[in-house]
Amino acid sequence: MMSASKPDILWSPHHADRFVVCDSELSLYRIGPAGASEAKGGALQLSEETAATLLAVNSDTPYMKCVAWYPKSEPECLLAVGQANGRVVLTGLGQSHGSKGKDLTGKEFVPKHARQCNTLAWNPADSNWLAAGLDKHRADFSVLIWDVGGRHPPEAMQAEKPRLSGDADPCAAATKPLYELGQNDACLSLCWLPRDHPKLLLAGMHRNLAIFDLRNTSQKTFVNTKAVQGVAVDPHFPERVASFFEGQVAIWDLRRFEKPVFTLPEQAKPLTKAAWCPTRTGLLATLTRDANVVRLYDMQHAPAGPVGSDESEPTVIERGVQPGGDVVISSFAWHPSTQNRMVVVAPNRSMCDFTVFERVSLAWSSSTDLVWACGRHLYECAEDAGDVAAEKDVATKMRERARSRYGHDTVQVWRNHLLAGGNDPQIRSLWYTLHFMQQYTEETEQRQQGNKQSLIYSGIKNIVKSCSGTTESRRRWKGSERTADATQYHGEERGLALRLCGWIGRGPDVDVEPFLRSLEQEGEWERAASVALFNLDIRRSIQILQKGAQAEKGDPNLNVVAMALSGYTDEKNSLWREMCGSLRLQLKKPYLCSMFAFLTSEAGAYDGVLYESRVAVRDRVAFACMFLNDNQLSRYVDKLTDEMKEAGNLEGILLTGLTKDGVDLMESYVDHTGDVQTASFCMLRGSSPEVVKDARVQCWIENYRDLLDAWRFWHKRAEFDIHRSKLDPSSKPLAQVFVSCNFCGKSISFGCSAAPHQGRGFGQYGVGGSPAKSKVTSCPGCRKPLPRCALCLMNMGTPASSRAGAGKSDEKADLPREKKLAQFNNWFTWCHNCRHGGHAGHTLSWFRDHSECPVSACTCKCMQLDTTGNLVPSDNI
Amino acid sequence: MFVAKSIAADHKDLIHDVSYDFHGRRMATCSSDQSVKVWDKSDSGEWHCTASWKTHSGSVWRVTWAHPEFGQVLASCSFDRTAAVWEEIVGESNDKQRGLSHWIKRTTLVDSRTSVTDVKFAPKHMGLVLATCSADGVVRIYEAPDVMNLSQWSLQHEISCKLSCSCISWNPSSSRAHAPMIAVGSDDSNVTYTGKVQIYEYNENTRKYAKAETLMTVTDPVHDIAFAPNLGRSFHVLAIATKDVRIFKLVPLRRESSTSSGPTKFEVQLMAQFDSHNSQVWRVSWNITSTLLASSGDDGCVRLWKANYMDNWKCTGVLRGDGSPVNSSSVSAAGLNAAVPSGAQNSGMGAVSAGRKKTQLMPG
Repeated sequence: MMSASKPDILWSPHHADRFVVCDSELSLYRIGPAGASEAKGGALQLSEETAATLLAVNSDTPYMKCVAWYPKSEPECLLAVGQANGRVVLTGLGQSHGSKGKDLTGKEFVPKHARQCNTLAWNPADSNWLAAGLDKHRADFSVLIWDVGGRHPPEAMQAEKPRLSGDADPCAAATKPLYELGQNDACLSLCWLPRDHPKLLLAGMHRNLAIFDLRNTSQKTFVNTKAVQGVAVDPHFPERVASFFEGQVAIWDLRRFEKPVFTLPEQAKPLTKAAWCPTRTGLLATLTRDANVVRLYDMQHAPAGPVGSDESEPTVIERGVQPGGDVVISSFAWHPSTQNRMVVVAPNRSMCDFTVFERVSLAWSSSTDLVWACGRHLYECAEDAGDVAAEKDVATKMRERARSRYGHDTVQVWRNHLLAGGNDPQIRSLWYTLHFMQQYTEETEQRQQGNKQSLIYSGIKNIVKSCSGTTESRRRWKGSERTADATQYHGEERGLALRLCGWIGRGPDVDVEPFLRSLEQEGEWERAASVALFNLDIRRSIQILQKGAQAEKGDPNLNVVAMALSGYTDEKNSLWREMCGSLRLQLKKPYLCSMFAFLTSEAGAYDGVLYESRVAVRDRVAFACMFLNDNQLSRYVDKLTDEMKEAGNLEGILLTGLTKDGVDLMESYVDHTGDVQTASFCMLRGSSPEVVKDARVQCWIENYRDLLDAWRFWHKRAEFDIHRSKLDPSSKPLAQVFVSCNFCGKSISFGCSAAPHQGRGFGQYGVGGSPAKSKVTSCPGCRKPLPRCALCLMNMGTPASSRAGAGKSDEKADLPREKKLAQFNNWFTWCHNCRHGGHAGHTLSWFRDHSECPVSACTCKCMQLDTTGNLVPSDNI
Repeated sequence: MFVAKSIAADHKDLIHDVSYDFHGRRMATCSSDQSVKVWDKSDSGEWHCTASWKTHSGSVWRVTWAHPEFGQVLASCSFDRTAAVWEEIVGESNDKQRGLSHWIKRTTLVDSRTSVTDVKFAPKHMGLVLATCSADGVVRIYEAPDVMNLSQWSLQHEISCKLSCSCISWNPSSSRAHAPMIAVGSDDSNVTYTGKVQIYEYNENTRKYAKAETLMTVTDPVHDIAFAPNLGRSFHVLAIATKDVRIFKLVPLRRESSTSSGPTKFEVQLMAQFDSHNSQVWRVSWNITSTLLASSGDDGCVRLWKANYMDNWKCTGVLRGDGSPVNSSSVSAAGLNAAVPSGAQNSGMGAVSAGRKKTQLMPG
């Protein structure tokens, strides 16, 4: 029995929350919100939101082949069941044995010869008509149309009664159909054409599709085709019909029935169902055997009108939905009224309720808002700035940093990392490096030692290259008589390198103590301890660890470390050495690990410290500068530089400086992060002109300016430009606008060669001029008067009265602002469309209340001409 | 964290495209109802439709903004085989009271004989240049030589791609080191034609576009394609919506001599490939720094992808097409933090909801 393994599913035509699953029995379900209070143990979860409750089961009708739901709302839950022997039974489900249902429920319609009933279809207009499609039996008819409400001749009922198989069914069985069609043929599928053609029946016969006209049963239109299964009329285009055969779906136009309008791409496996979506035009869902995907064909733009012209382009969009993941789907049913909703059922009767979403189109805005369109709806999704926990996108970070004036602190350069949020170790390292570099530059400038200048901003890599006059020394452990194993190296360049690393401060003394104290203050106990140790002060190191263990947020385990440290011995074969050498690898904290690596390593072989990548680059480099000889040092720095360049790690700027090498490193950083903001500000810090002219640097700067513009951070962009022109004077743009005198044609700017930079606004242009000079109301060239302000009718150049024009209450609220703008009010502005203008203040106040130009008979809508001009910058908070 | 809210769109049929302007303060939508709507964002963050007009005699597939330095200019393309350029004007019909603006058609580009499937303005440093592609497999590049006169467009290039084209994307890089470049995707469903993504590059010497690269590994229909904003990077990144989401990296190989003609050679790397949409992927879109990618697919979801420093991409958020959250197990692993509003599925398409539905998604 086929139906046992293949449950089918049907929605009630009247109750939006009921459906029937049929395999060997009929089960009526009600669907409702999941987790509702009434949800009982029996409810089946169909989706996140919905669950189904079993209402009734009907197993009265074995050998079911096909089922059709009675189209009228009364009696509810009446179904016609076609059986394997051709018999059609009307059966009810559940509670509704109402008065009206009684006379229909239980009725049976029996063909003359027993054969399988393939399909059933209720007439949508006349609900008494039920069409049944049967297999072939010799020359018998295969399409029978029964009148379920009709009164049957009693004798016919009598005649059939003995054939009812034993069960004392009191109900009537009819054998006389209203119409008999399709003689000598088989019927595989049936459907009625919609309401305007109540008498037309479309049938998939053995080898053709046929349209029977019940008004004249001899009339039959047909077309020979193999695609005779699953005929379905598009509810939105009654002329459009789909039918299938094996893996192929054909779409027909009934007005041009000779051949399919088009066929859909062939599926590998045979199709089992095709159904038009009742709630959306042109959406056909199909299912193949053993598939977990419902394929959808969106034919909205396929020619639904007259076809035949070769210009028609069937645009069919194929889609696929997997409602249940990998679960094979046995059948599906569209919900009759809820848009794009369907329920699918699997062979094991598990069900899934879901909605087919329309194809979603989406877009990001420049400020990281996401908008998408789904069907006819729009949704906008904004990033919530209040969220602290999640890692922010770099676009958000850059916006926040631009707001906090990141990069603009040119005095205390290191503070920029705090402006950046203070939580990025790379950025922190970068700005400290730049800070130390700048400090040294300033100092050398004071000392007027021009020859050192070239080394600054060029990084430790270049500094150690020029190493000369290195001296070796065997230092003693501080506070101990013993000589340390380690050989220390000294030299002017090495000292400079240590300063850039931040280990030692300015001045001639090479004291690391201030650095230790600052580390202690920041609670970086391990780091401080290891720096002290590398400076051969083991007591200080232990002292730091003890302090760290006692500190409020300190780690008590540091005491243990201090104890381990105090046991240090330079005896080569001691247990201490052996154990520390192996146990240190299990230490989680990189600085502790490197401390013991230092103590246990042979002189000159410090790989355990140098290649401990979790230790900050500046500390490793400083260490290398103290303990590696010239050759080793230069090789180590080169290797580390390449590593940093590869990884785009900003800590490497310490090594490369702001040179071409530094640009390479920064390129790698930008490639990884997209952070052009840091790249721009860093390269503008103190790079040589050749480096700033590098195409890549210029590209980052332009990209950063574009970002600021897109975010409407125009003030920030302008500030950035000012900042940039200080460090790179060539970037200053020329004056953009001049006003020439009507009479002599000369520019009216005073000393126009030094005309102030007027910004880039498109809407209004001002002509500068200090207030003192602005009393001049005539052209400096020919002494003819300047044009008059359209509002006060004074010649330009006359100071504008700040009270003019306005008045009203908003004037007072604006007072402080008005003051700020007082100078601007004197400026000369005009509409570059109608070329009328006047004092900026007067013009602005006019357009507060008017949309048209103040000059008589001029209808120009000066203020609305430029949409960008009406946008407000988003950073003037 | 992302918060989704619905906007009453009021289109009478499916919306096919939505696009932001340069500043993100204006938005344009286009639909099967043959119209385009323009939306403006108020200071309080609400979107208001300020223009809605019939643009074509068929479904409007795509709408796109020109850079604002060319004025307020839109281009649309349609099933009716045309593309059109629109400009907002200030005139008598401007109704500021109702907040409506007036858009007039500056030109209709009628060269295609089939449905025009995509339209995109070139990056602004190239001038006012517009590319279209059509179902008959032709990419057309138009230029307005006079930016003050948008009714004059000349057809500068016709590139025949042999396969039905569904989408185009300009390389947005403004670096002088990168020649103008356009990528084309094909939705031809025949998988035996490989190379559904072709990349064309402008050659300064021949003054023509020549094929620089074909992504032979893309064999399934391509529905959308997007170059990532370059932002000063030394390579290009291309996202492709096909049966999965793919992200390709194109690294220009440094030339031996700058004088050698011929297109740039690229090292093509597949950076990521996600099949989480289970089936067809319809759209991909990059954020401004190309650090976040959004994609939509037949699972009805919008997915957000983000790369870490090591170029490992992962999903940082999933939203269902109706704005409701998804909390399947795969998503909760990605850090979804959502409360389930009930009945979201049942909100019919017919009822245009103006209400707010809040969803919380946390990028993990």
